[in-house]
Amino acid sequence: MSVDLSNVRNIGISAHIDSGKTTLTERILFYTDRIHAIHDVRGKDGVGAKMDSMELERERGITIQSAATFCNWKGKDINIIDTPGHVDFTIEVERALRVLDGAVLVLCSVGGVQSQSITVNRQMTRYKVPRIAFINKCDRTGANPERVTAQLREKLGLNAHMVQMPIGLEIDLVGVVDLVTMKALYFEGDNGEIIREDEIPAALQERAQEKREELLEAVSMFSDELMEVMLEEGEINPELIRDAIRKGTLALELTPVFVGSAYKNKGVQPMLDGVNAYLPCPTDVENMALDLSEGEKEFAVTNNPDDPLIMLAFKLEDGRYGQLTYVRTYQGTVTKGDSVFNSRTGKKVKIGRLCRMHSDEMEDIDFCGSGDIVALFGVDCASGDTFCSGDISCSMSSMHIPEPVISLAITPVDNKAQINMSKALNRFTKEDPTFKTFVDHETNETIISGMGELHLEVYVERMKREYNAEVQVGAPQVAYRETITTRAEFNYTHKKQTGGSGQFGRVAGYMEPLEEGEYEFVDSIVGGSIPREFISSCDKGFQKSLVKGSLCGSAVTGVRCVINDGAFHAVDSSDVAFQLAAIGAFKEGYMKAKPVIMEPIMKVSVEGPTEFQGSIMGSINQRRGMIIGTMEEGNYTVVEADVPLSEMFGYSTTLRSLTQGKAEFTMEFSAFKQVPKLVNDELIKKYQSEKKNA
Amino acid sequence: MGKKNLVMNNPLRILGLEKKVKEDGASMGLVMSRAGLGKTAILVQIALDSMLWGDKVLHVSIGEGFDKTRVWYDDILRLMAAEEKSESFQTTVAEIMPNRMIMTFKESSFSQAKLEERLDDLVQQKIYKPVCLIIDGYDFQKGTHAALEEFKEFMVRHGLKRIWFSATTHREDKRESAIGVPAPCHDIDDLFDVVLMIAPKNEAIDLKILKCVSCTVDTGTTLMLNPSTMLIQKA
Repeated sequence: MSVDLSNVRNIGISAHIDSGKTTLTERILFYTDRIHAIHDVRGKDGVGAKMDSMELERERGITIQSAATFCNWKGKDINIIDTPGHVDFTIEVERALRVLDGAVLVLCSVGGVQSQSITVNRQMTRYKVPRIAFINKCDRTGANPERVTAQLREKLGLNAHMVQMPIGLEIDLVGVVDLVTMKALYFEGDNGEIIREDEIPAALQERAQEKREELLEAVSMFSDELMEVMLEEGEINPELIRDAIRKGTLALELTPVFVGSAYKNKGVQPMLDGVNAYLPCPTDVENMALDLSEGEKEFAVTNNPDDPLIMLAFKLEDGRYGQLTYVRTYQGTVTKGDSVFNSRTGKKVKIGRLCRMHSDEMEDIDFCGSGDIVALFGVDCASGDTFCSGDISCSMSSMHIPEPVISLAITPVDNKAQINMSKALNRFTKEDPTFKTFVDHETNETIISGMGELHLEVYVERMKREYNAEVQVGAPQVAYRETITTRAEFNYTHKKQTGGSGQFGRVAGYMEPLEEGEYEFVDSIVGGSIPREFISSCDKGFQKSLVKGSLCGSAVTGVRCVINDGAFHAVDSSDVAFQLAAIGAFKEGYMKAKPVIMEPIMKVSVEGPTEFQGSIMGSINQRRGMIIGTMEEGNYTVVEADVPLSEMFGYSTTLRSLTQGKAEFTMEFSAFKQVPKLVNDELIKKYQSEKKNA
Repeated sequence: MGKKNLVMNNPLRILGLEKKVKEDGASMGLVMSRAGLGKTAILVQIALDSMLWGDKVLHVSIGEGFDKTRVWYDDILRLMAAEEKSESFQTTVAEIMPNRMIMTFKESSFSQAKLEERLDDLVQQKIYKPVCLIIDGYDFQKGTHAALEEFKEFMVRHGLKRIWFSATTHREDKRESAIGVPAPCHDIDDLFDVVLMIAPKNEAIDLKILKCVSCTVDTGTTLMLNPSTMLIQKA
C-alpha cells in the first residue's frame, strides 16, 4: 500500500490579489486533464474558474476560501491548495503554508512585487517553504519580468534567477526560452496544449546566452560538479543544472523564476515541470511534532507509511456533503474504516469516508498514505487538531493564529434569520479560527470579530447567501483591550444577609501585570482561610471580571490575580458568594492597578507613484500613524507605517482621492499598544455615556 | 534594560562623542572601509546613540532595501542588550523607535535635491524633523568638494546637527590625504569633523580614528570592532 513519496508534491499557489493565480490553477487543471474546458475568473460564459467554487468568489473575482485539488503531471501526484490573495484572509494562506511542502509565488509582470506579495513571502519564510516564482501576465502592456525578478531580489531578499526568458512581450508574447536546455518553447493548439520545441530565435540568442551565464553562475554555488564542468568549460548536462537548482531551492537559497501568461495559455506546462523538478517531496522537508506522552518533546515525523499515524486537520468546511475535514498525513497510513484518536480530545473517531477533493467535487479513495492531503467525512474536530493511531500520542506544532482586531454588531431581521444566523456563525467559527463571535449581554447584540473590514463583510454576505440569514450590520468597532500597569492589593468582603439564605465570602490578595499571556490565577492560600472547594469560585469570579473592563468595556488581558487570604462562613459561604467576592475584589484592585486601554496597531504599507509620496505620508500622519520608512523605486514609492486600526476606516477612499486612484495599501495586525491620553479619555467618556443611556 | 543603561552601554561612549551630541553646532562624520567590513554597523550604532539621547534620526540608505536596514537596527539593539531581560528592552525599543525613520533610494535615483524635496515634505507637514542624518551608500566617486560643501549648507537650512556618511575604499587606489584619509575622500577630508576607518588586522578589526575634532579620545587611538557582533570596543 506504500506510495513512492518522491512522486508526491504538496504545493500552494499564493500571491497578490489579481495577479492571476486562480487563472493559473485553472490552466494547471486543464493541462493535467482534471477539467476539460477552461472558464475564466470573470468569464463571459458565467461558469467561473473551477477553484472559485463559492458563488461570492465567482462574483467578486477573488478567491476567498482556499480549495484543495489534486492532479497528476508527468507521473507526479500534485496536491494544490489555491490560496486567497487579500490580506484579510491570511489565515487561509498561513494554514495552507503550514501543511504544504513547497509553493509557487505568482507575480504580475506589470504590478511586480506588491505589498501583499511581501506579506505572503514573509509567511513563506516563517514556515520555511521552498518556492518557485511564476511571473504571470507577460502579455499585458507594461510587462517587464526582468524588473520583477530584480524586485524579488531587492524587496523580498530572495536569490531569484530566471530559468526562462520570454519570447516577445506584451502583445508579441509568443513563447519562452528555457535557459536550462537552451530551447525555445511555443504553445500551440486552441488552448496552448501542444508544446513545440524549436531553436532560440536568432535575435534572442545573445541575450539568452547572457541570461544563461547569469543563471549558471548563481546555481553553480549549489553543485561542485557543475562548478567543475564550468571551470573546465565542458558541455553542461541540463540534468546537472536542474540538480543544482533543486538543491538551492530546497535549501531556501534560490528561487527559480518562470515566466508566461496563464490567460494566454503560455508557459504553464514548463512551470509544472519546475514544480516536479525543483519543489520538495514530503521526505525532503522536516516536519516537527510534539510528543504528548513526554512533556511535549519535539521530534521529527518520519514520513514512513508503516509508522504510527500522525495526521493534521488544517481546514474544516461544512458544505453540501456535510462536515468536511481537510487533513495532511505526516506519517503512517489511514484506510477507510480505521479508527483514529483525536489527541486534543482523546476521543476515538472512525474514518467513514476518505476523499480527494477537486475544488467542490470529490473522488472517493480507500486509503491515504504519508505526505498526502485528503478530506475526511463526518469527523467532529476543530481546525488544527491532530489525529493519531492508538500507539502514539502527539500533536503537530500549533499554527500562528492572529487575534481578531475588528468587530461588528449584527442583528437578525426576523426570527427565521435568527435561527439561520446561529447555524452560520457556528459553522464559520469552526472553520476559521480568526473569526469569533459572542453576545454582548449588556446590549444583547451579537458581535462578530475578525481580521479586517472585508473579512467580516464576506461572512455577512455568506450568511445571507448560504444560510438565508438577513442581518442588519452596525458600524465596525475596533477591538480594544484593557490591561493593568502596576501591582495593586485587594481585600473585599461580600456579605448579604437580608432575606433568605445569606451570602458571605472575603477575598484578599493582589493583582499584577502579566508579561506573557492573557490571565493567570495563583492560589497562595495557606491555613484554609478560603476552603478548597471555593478556590475555583474565586478563579471564576476573576475570569468573569475580565470579560468587560471598567474603562471602556473591553476585555481585560495581561493580568495575574493572586489570592493569599480570605474568610468564610460555615453556613453562608457558597460558590456564588465567593464568585461575587472575587468580582468585588477585582473591581477594587483594578482601578488601583492603573488600568490603560490598548488598541490594535496595524502594519500598513502604501504603494503609489513617487509624486504622491508627500500626500501619502501626510495622510498617514493625520491618522496618528508612525512612518517607519519609505522606499523609492524608480517612479514608485512604498511608505511603511504603524497606524492604529481605529484610524484606518475609510482610508481606501481617502487614498484613492489623494492619488487619483493610483496608490493602494495593505495592512496586517502588528501589536496592541496603549492609546494616547486624549483617545483614552474619549473612549472612557463614550463608554460612560453609553452605559448611562443603556 | 532601561534606556539609561542602553545609553551608558552605547559603544559610542568609547569615542567620547556624547559631548558632541549635546553641542549645538553642525558636524559631519565619515566612516570608511573596504566593502563588507561593517560601515553600516557603525552608522547604526551612531544613529542609535542619537536616538537614545532623544534626537530624531533619518537614515538614508542608498542601494539597500528597507528591510535590510531595519534588520541592522534590530540586530545591533539586540546585541547591545544581549544580557538583559527582554520585557524592559522591548519597552525601550518601543520608546526610541519613533526617533527613527528610514528612507531608501536606488543608487541611480538618489540626489541631494531629491533628498531635500523629501525632507521638506516631512518637515512642512510636521511629520518628522530629523536632527541627525545618516547617509549610507553615498557615491563619493561622483561627490565633488563642492557637492559635499553643499551638504554643509543643507545641514544649516534644515537645522540638522549631524550628518554621518559611509564611504567605500578600494585596495588598488593608494591615494590618501596628509592625515591618512584614503581615496575617494582624500581631498575632501577638511569638510569632516570626524573620520573613522575600519581596518582588518589578522583576526581582529581595528577602528582607527583618523580625525576627530570633539572626541574625548585622542586622534590616532585605535579602537576595535568585535568581529562577531560588530560592536565598538576598546582595543
